[in-house]
Amino acid sequence: MELLFGPGLLFRNAVIGGLCVAIVCSLLGVYLVLRRLVLLGVALPQAGAAGIAAAFWISAHAHQPGGAHTGALLGSLVATFGALGLLVAGQRSGRSPAEWGVGALFAIASSATVLFVALNPSGDLEVTNMLRGELLTVSDADLLALLVASALSLALFFSFRREILLASFDAEFARTIGRNPARADALLFGLLGGAIALGVMEAGPLVVFGFLVLPPLAALRVAPGLGAAMAIAAAIGAVCSLGGFSLAYRADLPTGPTSVALAAVFWLALTAFARWRARPGRRASPRAAGLVALVLCVVAALGCGLVFGMEPAAPPLSRGTLPDLAGRGPVAVARFRNATGVPLRIESGNPLRELPRVIGRGSGEEWTVTDALQAQASHELALRDIAVSGFEADRAAMTSVPQDAASAATLARDGGVTGPVLFGCLRRFTVTGTGLLLVHLDLSLVDSSSGDVLWTGQARGPFSVRSALTTRELLVDAAPAIFAQAFDAD
Amino acid sequence: MSANDALLRLVDASFGYGAMPIVRGVSLEVVPGELVALLGSNGSGKTTLVRGLLGLLPPLAGRVERSPRLRLGYVPQRETLDPLYPLSGFDVVLLGACRDLPFYRPTGAPERERTRSALEAVRAVAFSGRRYGQLSGGQRQRILIARALATQPTALVLDEPTAGVDPETEKAIVEVLQELRTEHRLAVWMVTHQLEAVIGRVDRTLVLEEGRLQSGRGA
Repeated sequence: MELLFGPGLLFRNAVIGGLCVAIVCSLLGVYLVLRRLVLLGVALPQAGAAGIAAAFWISAHAHQPGGAHTGALLGSLVATFGALGLLVAGQRSGRSPAEWGVGALFAIASSATVLFVALNPSGDLEVTNMLRGELLTVSDADLLALLVASALSLALFFSFRREILLASFDAEFARTIGRNPARADALLFGLLGGAIALGVMEAGPLVVFGFLVLPPLAALRVAPGLGAAMAIAAAIGAVCSLGGFSLAYRADLPTGPTSVALAAVFWLALTAFARWRARPGRRASPRAAGLVALVLCVVAALGCGLVFGMEPAAPPLSRGTLPDLAGRGPVAVARFRNATGVPLRIESGNPLRELPRVIGRGSGEEWTVTDALQAQASHELALRDIAVSGFEADRAAMTSVPQDAASAATLARDGGVTGPVLFGCLRRFTVTGTGLLLVHLDLSLVDSSSGDVLWTGQARGPFSVRSALTTRELLVDAAPAIFAQAFDAD
Repeated sequence: MSANDALLRLVDASFGYGAMPIVRGVSLEVVPGELVALLGSNGSGKTTLVRGLLGLLPPLAGRVERSPRLRLGYVPQRETLDPLYPLSGFDVVLLGACRDLPFYRPTGAPERERTRSALEAVRAVAFSGRRYGQLSGGQRQRILIARALATQPTALVLDEPTAGVDPETEKAIVEVLQELRTEHRLAVWMVTHQLEAVIGRVDRTLVLEEGRLQSGRGA
């Protein structure tokens, strides 16, 4: 749970980003389905992906966090809205059926994506991850943009929901009562284009298409009304996003496709339910059906919560060189010392927490690499079947950073810790231009009562972090390997 | 009927698409309390004339004079509406009741009351809770008439309201229109290609042939 939502979380951005994409796409997708424009939902995300691949190619992207991401976002926006504009222009000319243009767009965008990736000598991994729907690499800046865009989209959508419905259901009638359906259409497609462009950046075209179509299809099977359909679609999207992430985490699968597969399960289940309900002699009760769908969502959400709360069912890892600590009580992990001379600050996963710092009024505790390593150390010990007091308890018991193992024992004793204490000193944490993380971490396990050193270990060396773009992602990639080396090496 | 009563007047008006006129040189008046049938075969220009009356097409020639009292309520052909939408009959009528509601205001009690009144006027309350897509042709037609009525119109324009319904339903629909004409003093214009559906039931018939209004007569 802590890995996902805790302050040192490694996946929080991805979870929140995935939720945003799922909810907004599921909601807007209801209109895509009702207007029989489902094919647009597959072609536009592909156009966005082609735009991103083109941006990576143009910037010859390797590892330039920030600038390259902005370029990719621009590429996605330009390609998505450009494709949308071309389709609208083609449809207005009325010379050919709309699906001809959509089909051609999909074919062109798909081949363009592959070609741009092939032409890019260094950025293929990022683009491939994106195409697979690997949600793990959502940066803070991306998340902030996604949160703002999602909030704005939802606000606009709900403000103009009546105009959008009128324009979609009966545009001619809308015109006769003084409404402007073209403007409402422009708003709807603008929102769709924005959601698709940003969604493809965060989750890939497959995930965006999946959420645009499957939750709305499932919801429309059972919803008693349009408002209920939107609520159910958004709920299914949210549950599938969280549940998919949970399943992917446990089964080591790509997150996006797992979420989409879960949405497909919802669609199949609700379709079967709707057919069963429609059998002759069975009284249709749409409100009851809607209630069933919501109950399904709640049950699934509770199930996801339970899964999140459980540790992976894998067997415990080897203790390596760690001593047998039976009878000594749970191990506490002291705050790690940063001896690198660099602050190694990690930007908060919550953009609102970043605002005070951005405007120069930062205060309070800031999350650093050593804090994340402390949290990871506690987690790694638990994975090796060693009793730990827990990260939060350790932070509360030992509020300052010890200078060495002896002072860690003293601090622990003063904080009421009676068992062994693990202390770490980070001496190097540098990323090379070739995608390697150079680390030097010294670990000591001391008895808090006597101050005796029970064990020492060390992690030194380069760790591959080729696909990581942020410090948080560096830790996702490297932290398990760092502790594996420190604990397991003879 | 005095010329000053006219809600809408076409004077030698032509309508069409692009520069090509399809309906040419039409002069007519829409006055309150009159039920008029506009007859014509397929391709005669009925829909183009309706779009001209509704203000959806600007005149290519001639004049269109609209009274400040004119509020048009439009009833499209029911096949043009997608039954896939999960809207009840009440929801559909409510859309009409929100005609004057700004986009930022949610629907409230006045709109719901107007919706109920419109449903009662066309005797559609009983099935208004059912999904629009699951209603019969005649029921859908009543819902669409109620939606137009909920916009508080002074004139109703109906495009083929009796197409594809059985004779009994056809008679019931025309009776509803007659009541609206009499009790609400609405100008009711219905477009149809079925002479038998309106003969003896309307105040006036107009026949459109090849884009020209050929005749007008009392029923």
